Amino acid sequence: MGFISSAIEALGPAGLVLKAILLSLLGILLLVGFIISRRWYRGRYFRRRNRRTVALRAQWEDIVSGKVPPGDWRFNPLDCDIVESILLDSIEMGTPETLPSLLQCLRKSGLLDMRVCETRVARGWQRRTALIALGRTRAFEAIPALAEALDAHSRETRIAAVRGLGRIALAEAAMPLMDRMLIHLDVPEHTLKSALVKCCRSHPEILVNYVERADGPVRQLLARVLGELASPDLGEELLVLAADPLPEVRGSAARALGRTNASFTLPALDSLADDPEWFVRLRAVVALGQVENIGKIRTLLRALCDSNRYVRQRAAWALARMEPQLGQILEDVVATKDEYALQVFISELERSGAIEKIISAMELGPGRSAQTLLDVVADARNRMGTNSKAAAVAAGGR
Amino acid sequence: MLLFLSISNDTFFVYYLLSNLIYLFLLITAIFKNTMHRHRLGSLKLELLKASPFTPPITLLVPAHNEESSIVASVKALLSLDYPALEVIVVNDGSRDRTLQKLEQAFQLQTARVLYIPDIVTAPLRGIYRSLTEPQLLVLDKEAAGCKADAINAGINAATSPYICVVDADSILEKESLMRIMAAVFSDPSRVVAVGGIVRILNNCTVTNGELKEVRLPRKPIEVLQVIEYLRAFLVGREAWAGFNMLPIISGAFGIFQRDLVKQVGGFRTHAVGEDLDLVVRLHRHLQEEGRPYHINFIPDPTCWTEAPSDLASLARQRARWHKGLIDALWPARDMLFRPRYGRVGWVVLPYMWIFELLAPIVEIFGYSTMFCAFLLGGLSEHFFLQFLLFGYAFATLISIGSVLLEEMTFRRYSDWREVTRLIFYCFFEHFPYRQLTMLWRLQGIWQYLRGDMRWHEVKRVGMSANPTV
Repeated sequence: MGFISSAIEALGPAGLVLKAILLSLLGILLLVGFIISRRWYRGRYFRRRNRRTVALRAQWEDIVSGKVPPGDWRFNPLDCDIVESILLDSIEMGTPETLPSLLQCLRKSGLLDMRVCETRVARGWQRRTALIALGRTRAFEAIPALAEALDAHSRETRIAAVRGLGRIALAEAAMPLMDRMLIHLDVPEHTLKSALVKCCRSHPEILVNYVERADGPVRQLLARVLGELASPDLGEELLVLAADPLPEVRGSAARALGRTNASFTLPALDSLADDPEWFVRLRAVVALGQVENIGKIRTLLRALCDSNRYVRQRAAWALARMEPQLGQILEDVVATKDEYALQVFISELERSGAIEKIISAMELGPGRSAQTLLDVVADARNRMGTNSKAAAVAAGGR
Repeated sequence: MLLFLSISNDTFFVYYLLSNLIYLFLLITAIFKNTMHRHRLGSLKLELLKASPFTPPITLLVPAHNEESSIVASVKALLSLDYPALEVIVVNDGSRDRTLQKLEQAFQLQTARVLYIPDIVTAPLRGIYRSLTEPQLLVLDKEAAGCKADAINAGINAATSPYICVVDADSILEKESLMRIMAAVFSDPSRVVAVGGIVRILNNCTVTNGELKEVRLPRKPIEVLQVIEYLRAFLVGREAWAGFNMLPIISGAFGIFQRDLVKQVGGFRTHAVGEDLDLVVRLHRHLQEEGRPYHINFIPDPTCWTEAPSDLASLARQRARWHKGLIDALWPARDMLFRPRYGRVGWVVLPYMWIFELLAPIVEIFGYSTMFCAFLLGGLSEHFFLQFLLFGYAFATLISIGSVLLEEMTFRRYSDWREVTRLIFYCFFEHFPYRQLTMLWRLQGIWQYLRGDMRWHEVKRVGMSANPTV
């Protein structure tokens, strides 16, 4: 050894480089060795896991019913991991009939308590994994442990807690979530909305109370979720939200009203279609598209002449799908004498493929009025073609 | 003379060392960031995102120029992607082959008189078509402007979704790639303005009806070397730069952007050779000037598979073009260098791109030459010379093997033992002689740029339908 180090010393600056080369070569050897040993270890682990999965699957019914005592598999980490993952997958895909026995197995084996304990004791990724697993159990008693994690210092942990509560998919899981939101909860909006949608799907009415209590962005977010879940029995509450000072809330109310199809729906949407904010008008028009009532035609015709092109497009989309009335609607659109309205409507009829049918029907129809209408449509179609080309040519001319 | 050669050699040594040290730092950062990302993925369920009513729509923009061999398969594959609200806009960019006819036949296209508002100026449109069989497909036929950027801009004008995703017509996206890439947006929609996904090499993989069926390592050494290069560039470089919010490029083959933001910066710069790099640099500039908090991210699991050049001549043309694109994007951004207003982008990543990417071919070729001269003139000890070359080589190889390790630890697309062994084996050739070859090609790119030769030199491709195992 002494000989080697003195030889390197004798090399001077070249010795330093030699050391660096040796170090790099050692690094290469270590990396290659790590890759090989990791592959070997993983291969061995998965083969073993496969064998154990087959063995445990063979006695699955007995494990779930408790005939195989939990002590037989619970304290072997690999077996415990396999049983838990099968149980959680089964719960996720389970029916109301199979769910109680699976939950019972989770409870009796102590797996649920273990995960609850982990969410309180563990740190970092281990805690986050436990939170998600706890959410997947869909067990009612998991809610307090998940709710505690909403106050965690780490944002990642809070996200995991929100996702966990969302996976539980019970209205009770939404309560702590919304309580924290009213104070402050720094979690991505999409994660919160997705969790709330899952939790409140069967009881959207619990959102109404929170929307009323919240303000600012939280109010908007809750209203947005309500907009997705609203049911006809929420009628009056939605009318209150339709008059909210926040445009986003009014927009969500419009969206929600589209699902109600009640007697008050049309007047409320008619009023929202005149909102000063374009996106509220847009949502009202989209909602009108879902409502089954020919009374909406008047509002949609008005929206077809809107100053915003997205509103006009959606109004055209909704009108172009009212097949039995299309002839009459076309006459009304021509009567508005609004060039933009006519173009966007014809464009939408082209897109839906209904234009040829209307033209054929008009060609068969008697009198001068049908011929006049045909001329107007042909003229509009020609101009649209020319305008598009002109716009493109002008654009190309730079 | 000898003094000059000695200073030059020392500078080259420091340059080489610094370049490798930075990459080592990026490798360590990427390993850390990748681990975090995989943990995050563990708690994310893509099916839930898919079912969520809050998932925003995406428009896929597919610029196609003379892509008759692969266009139908590509579009079919794109239309079958797992995403709840998807619009696909194919822009036929003045193809001289039967690209449009193939699309017409396959998707029963019919002329649609839809309003097209050219917010971004493009070459004239010849027609807009809708498919009778696929309602979410729109085809724009436009005159060629000689650049991909113009075709993308036309697509942006017609796009109706808040997010656009630019995909090459000869590339294949994995089924879940859009859900995965959008997951990064959902994490913070107000800040995340653009996200890039990973691009991998399709050569020798099995593709059926535009869908990737089996992943295999390419056969030719030149292709395997590109696989290693892509792993290093994407899994290490982009992952790490994105971690510090300094990602300088989102691949033109696969990336999503906020549509309105792209419109605000005037779309993709027409006639930019490297339009993808150019756009990201301009986005950084725009957002920094506005003082808006933002994040341009990179996610390593949404994957786009693309065919890589399989012969030296095509590869040379591609690399020369890439380097021209690099100069073309960095030169207009030179005023961002070392300006406090542009933060770490102006202080770190742009100088890095100038010194270790743009000037690399000049520095390296010059460095090798001076070392050789010094060796000939006896101004350099033979031992020291060889040892330095060995060190540079061994250190760089270490990093290449590190990227293979990262792939092994994360996505393991090459699962066969023999393939991994081949990958590791070829890591020893990436820094000699492959690197020196790419330096020559990049030097050629600089020369072409200085001469004003900005042509898009064609790269020979087999095409997906021409060969079932592309």
